[in-house]
Amino acid sequence: MKQTGLSRRRFCQLTGSGLLLSPLFMRAQSKSGSSLTAREVVARIKKNVGVPWHTPTADEFKVGDPDVPISGITTTFMSTLDLLERSMAAGNNFVITHEPTFWSAADVVSDLRDDPLYEFKLNFIEKNKMVVWRFHDHWHAHRPDGIFTGWNKTMGWESYASPAANPFSHEYVIPETSLEELARDMQTKLKTRSMRLVGDPKLRVTKLAHAGHYIQQCMQALQKVDVLMVFECREWEAAEYVRDAIASGQKKALIQLPHEGGEEAGMDECARWLRTFVSEVPIKFIPSGDPFWMPA
Amino acid sequence: MITSRQLIEQIQKNVGVPWQSQRSDGFSDGILFGSADATVTGIVTTFTPTLDVLRKAVNSGKNTIICREAPTYSRGERAPLFWRNGSAPSKELLDNDPVWHAKQDFISKNNLVIIRFVDNWDARNRDGQLRGLSRALGWDSFHGARGSGEDVYDPRDVYFHLPKTSLNSLAEGIKKKLNVGGLRVIGRPESTVTKVALTHGLLLVADAERILRERDTDVVVVGDAVEWEAGPYFQDLVTAGKAKGLVLLGEESSEEPGSGEMAEWLKGFVTELPIEWIPAGEPFWTLI
Repeated sequence: MKQTGLSRRRFCQLTGSGLLLSPLFMRAQSKSGSSLTAREVVARIKKNVGVPWHTPTADEFKVGDPDVPISGITTTFMSTLDLLERSMAAGNNFVITHEPTFWSAADVVSDLRDDPLYEFKLNFIEKNKMVVWRFHDHWHAHRPDGIFTGWNKTMGWESYASPAANPFSHEYVIPETSLEELARDMQTKLKTRSMRLVGDPKLRVTKLAHAGHYIQQCMQALQKVDVLMVFECREWEAAEYVRDAIASGQKKALIQLPHEGGEEAGMDECARWLRTFVSEVPIKFIPSGDPFWMPA
Repeated sequence: MITSRQLIEQIQKNVGVPWQSQRSDGFSDGILFGSADATVTGIVTTFTPTLDVLRKAVNSGKNTIICREAPTYSRGERAPLFWRNGSAPSKELLDNDPVWHAKQDFISKNNLVIIRFVDNWDARNRDGQLRGLSRALGWDSFHGARGSGEDVYDPRDVYFHLPKTSLNSLAEGIKKKLNVGGLRVIGRPESTVTKVALTHGLLLVADAERILRERDTDVVVVGDAVEWEAGPYFQDLVTAGKAKGLVLLGEESSEEPGSGEMAEWLKGFVTELPIEWIPAGEPFWTLI
């Protein structure tokens, strides 16, 4: 009911502005009054992203018909079922997600044919004529990396980012603080509920780096900084490495964020960027949110 | 007096399943560091041989460490991708790494022997990791198989029937019992839960599918889940009303009680040596 109400309100706004007066325009149009399709949005993304389009890539349509007019665009970290429901409630049937929809890196659905949850999610998407497209590889490949541009803005750290040694390093020199104060500030700004830490809470810190998901990256980065920031590292890798570094006498620390806390802000940035070349439909960043909570 | 080679032979004789030197994991069961001819002065079991655990072993006069995780911060290059995310540290990287140097020096200076014992331990008919974890939680009497009066812990029988509680109370209780700070939960805190699947390590989507196919399950309690795989799978299950939640204990917290179980098992046939379980402890602390 709520979603019908929203659509009707938007419809009235648009009729009021006279956009719907042309009969030509009315032939193939969504409730937003635009005939823009998901495929056309993606074509514009490819034109604007500033790097050659590499294939194979994860950045593909995952589900839905890319050629139907869209009512609005949601950008998000992860197209969970809850996010899809909230996107429909906001009147947006096109979701641009950074991470998978069907629970594997390549969204492989061949193994899921008999899975009742897959069927449930697919039904929801089809019933609501939604389209999901993934924007991962090329948003990271954009210069500067769109995900970290968003993260820096959300943290207010744009001026602390060190000139990058390479396109994939994200190092920072921040005003000196303690590990605990830093973690509290980060928790508030990223709205994260499940941050986990290694190291002395009172450790004075100023040099930090995002180290990626991989142990090799973590090992290469730790000697240059006080604090490694990671997300989606296996626990027997980065956490144990930093724990041993500390036990061997080094003054180091690790902040392990939920994957979402490390990358969701980058999809807020994606919405800002899309608005510079897509104006026909509303564009909204809707956070999928920290999946976890911690009991008292 | 026995050597580490003889210790492994005793383990092979008692494990109760045909010894396999290699399963899917990157490393093989057996000696990762140290000499097969070293005399065993004492045995430590642990989840992972951190520098801290190694020091405690040496301080207590024990030179042989039996572990689940390798000391080199990875499950190795042959491990499936969800077990390592990326490449294992190369030899060149390890050779030039000050942290590994410090640990390696400590291992060789103290003539330590580090033995991996995972695949064959897990292949037994009784799941030692599950039994250890269940008993650490005080859930022994809630295990589905207890009705038969037998202490079986079949590796696939992960089903527990708990007194009715809320997801939040369940999580709080586990957190206190296992003393784990970084326990993470997916699901609505107020949901009523009673049917629990308890397992350990990393949960894959296929594991979750099997559990839900086999039994009507409210909650799965496990070590960790990949945040683009089984994590969102459970978020979606909760939204769809098909399950109540997922409780993540952390890898160490979910596997460590199994190392305690292993120490008890070893005492059954290694009688001439001191045997001690030294928990590595949770690596993390939290603000909450």
